[in-house]
Amino acid sequence: MTVATPELPALDARNISHAYGRHQILNDISFEVAPGALVGITGENGTGKSTLLRVLSGQLRPRGGVVSYRGALGYCPQEPSLNSFLTVGQHIEFFRAAYKLESLDRATELVRELGFERYMDHSVASLSGGTRQKLNLTIALMHRPAVLLLDEPYQGFDWETYLRFWDLAIEVREAGAAVVVVSHLAFDHERFDTLYELKAGSLGVPSSAAAGVSA
Amino acid sequence: MSGLLRSQYGTAVRFAVVDQIRNRMAMVLLIVFVPLWFLVIRAVTTHDMVSFHLRAAGRSISVDGAHLTVITAGLNALTLIVGFMFFAAARREIGFERRLVGAGYPRSVLLLAKFTTLVATAAVVSLYASLVMLFFWWRPVDFGAIYVSFLLASLIYGSFGLMLGVLVQDELEGFFVIIMTSLSDTFLQNPIGNPTANKLVVAFFPSFGSMQFGVDGAFTGSLPWAYTGVSIAWIACLTAATLVIFAWKTRSPGIKRLSQHVIPA
Repeated sequence: MTVATPELPALDARNISHAYGRHQILNDISFEVAPGALVGITGENGTGKSTLLRVLSGQLRPRGGVVSYRGALGYCPQEPSLNSFLTVGQHIEFFRAAYKLESLDRATELVRELGFERYMDHSVASLSGGTRQKLNLTIALMHRPAVLLLDEPYQGFDWETYLRFWDLAIEVREAGAAVVVVSHLAFDHERFDTLYELKAGSLGVPSSAAAGVSA
Repeated sequence: MSGLLRSQYGTAVRFAVVDQIRNRMAMVLLIVFVPLWFLVIRAVTTHDMVSFHLRAAGRSISVDGAHLTVITAGLNALTLIVGFMFFAAARREIGFERRLVGAGYPRSVLLLAKFTTLVATAAVVSLYASLVMLFFWWRPVDFGAIYVSFLLASLIYGSFGLMLGVLVQDELEGFFVIIMTSLSDTFLQNPIGNPTANKLVVAFFPSFGSMQFGVDGAFTGSLPWAYTGVSIAWIACLTAATLVIFAWKTRSPGIKRLSQHVIPA
């Protein structure tokens, strides 16, 4: 097991640019996230937050720029990308094979913490939006990633689950993971070490210069 | 194959099978549509003899038109159903599989699992259709030839469905292409519907090899194995195309993984 040294960023995005046709979405974005930092990216609908996260996670090839990260990556996409015909338990089993995990202890713990253990044998097609999102989050976290990218992670959550989500995010950060949360809601800003606003394709100046993050 | 790959392969096959079995629409189509289609086709055809040149036999043969149509109807039903099943599954799962690949699942293992499921499904579905066909034509000379013919055609259209599923964006486009291909393919090879079914161009149709093998075996008892090669070539080409498109669609670009790092518990 190799542990990244704290000086090195866990996630390093350099000169990321992307456009859909002639419509420039991301314009030369560079930023780093250190291990143990919790970074928020907000912005109005359509400003390219999800595009940025898809680039960071490797789901989308940017027109320009390079993304580097140290360690395992966990990605919780806005569209959960689950299989409607498989159950919650089968999803966890499938991703256990993908992550090559020996044990499902962490996944079981997450399912319990998020309070959806009674749905283990339910197919995804029969789940509510909120429960699907819990599964989405569990899949992103079950292998203890070093870099965690969360796109609108609390959509569909009730208040109690929303609070549990934040407990979980803090716990993951305290364990040393670099966490990036994308959301169109800015009212969580006090929870982040650093908050960026994505506007006209640029990240701008972060609202707090917390340690471990530099733009 | 290493122990890890074997285990990943086993998991992927298991869930691909679960996915197909839980697709109730496909199951209903299979169980109801196949006998219904044979029934309709038999109701509108007569036992008039039809003579045509069969390439696989190298001569003209004269056969019962109703029996010949039962074979083409079976091929038509199977190619549609298996094509739909694998098109719908591939299309439905591409986002999920992209996520699995991003999480570390080897693409080759996922694809191998898909083709394993296709072979197993085609084997079972073709057996079902062949057995149902016996209600409409009790004694073909070689029943096995009909099963092999149905199996090969199912494999071709299953591979075709898989390829379209990972390629096309819109569901309607895929269904349209499968319906039109299957209809033209099977209809234009039947000399009852198309008096010029002998033309060289039909040799390039996807189900040509399986049709020739099935018809020759069912009516004359001879088994022209060379024609199964034509079907296998189709399957190989479609599989190769699917491989390339799947690799392209699930690629993970522009990312550098600098070192492995696991957060301690």
